[in-house]
Amino acid sequence: MQDVRRLEPIPAGNLNQDSLYEQAADSYSAALDRLARAYESDPEARRDLLQEIHLQLWRSFAQFDCRCSLRTWVYRVAHNVATGHTVRQRRIREKLVSIESIESIPGGDQGELAASQAEALHRLSLLIQGLQPLDRQIIISYLEGMDAASTSEITGLSPANVAMKVHRIKHVLRRWFHEGGPHAK
Amino acid sequence: MPNEFPMKDPKDVWQNQPTEAFKMSADQLRRKVKQRQSKTRFEALYSIVIGLTLGILFAWTLATAHELVLRLGFGILSLWCLYFAYQAYRRIRTSRLAPDATLSTTLESYRSELEKQRDFARHVWRRTGLPFCFLGLALVIVPELIKALGAPRLALNILPVGVLLAIWFAIFIPQRKRRQQKLRQEIDELCAFESETH
Repeated sequence: MQDVRRLEPIPAGNLNQDSLYEQAADSYSAALDRLARAYESDPEARRDLLQEIHLQLWRSFAQFDCRCSLRTWVYRVAHNVATGHTVRQRRIREKLVSIESIESIPGGDQGELAASQAEALHRLSLLIQGLQPLDRQIIISYLEGMDAASTSEITGLSPANVAMKVHRIKHVLRRWFHEGGPHAK
Repeated sequence: MPNEFPMKDPKDVWQNQPTEAFKMSADQLRRKVKQRQSKTRFEALYSIVIGLTLGILFAWTLATAHELVLRLGFGILSLWCLYFAYQAYRRIRTSRLAPDATLSTTLESYRSELEKQRDFARHVWRRTGLPFCFLGLALVIVPELIKALGAPRLALNILPVGVLLAIWFAIFIPQRKRRQQKLRQEIDELCAFESETH
């Protein structure tokens, strides 16, 4: 078998790279898969995107300096790779909208209730995939259960900005999935 | 049909979606990096070969042409091919995601991606050297057009090229303007966000 270490030698200071990646992949594999689904609807392109995220994540660990948590680092790298992927798809990017414009559409709610988990997920994915990258990132962070401070650390937006966006996201989600859901209280 | 969704939290729906376990081994990662380096090298080589071949072809035509204007035209086209190959090679080298891009915040990373596209669109004429291409083409075609004034059959032969060029201009220029406007708007929005943040 070929000695793959000869392909790209790791500098002495970066011996941790493999173990950090291993740890990140074990802990966040499912979250990264969900993130890739939020950025790419085509299954084949999504697989490529996911592979690219893992590759860039591994590369980034050569510079991991423990100044932020592993989770923040993983999400930051993953979102940046996925955002780059969206930005390069010009025809798709030009059709993306902000959460504010969805919120301002009168009667933009879906009317009928989503009858099953699959339908609800489909509807949620449609909403997310139509959003501009920054808004998409905030909604994903919200759905993944992150607080405003963590989301702010990843996006570079202020916590107040993130909180305002999350407020709008909640409003849109309520309308998108019909008034009366758990967030309507 | 049961209305079960209003009782569900979108967070639960999102987090409980079926996912595929995906992980790459250290061997796979290193192999992938090597494959990518080889692909980049191949793409760079490919654009150099195409540029050189066309450059040599035009240089050969230059050597066999007798009229000064034609020779000048083919000379410019030959040089443009070399320049275009060099620019393509440069673009391939820099189009990969920079390692630093994975470490900045999304706001910075997103803005820098958009700025890269804006800068390319803004300097597209200089970067592609298209004015030289058009100058070379004009020097080759215009003498033929002048000759064609006395021979309508020749004019008919040149007409399709002229029509295609006019269509290209009619589509390319407004499209480019729209794209630049949209990019400027997106960058401005991001800058406004950044200034609110800092």
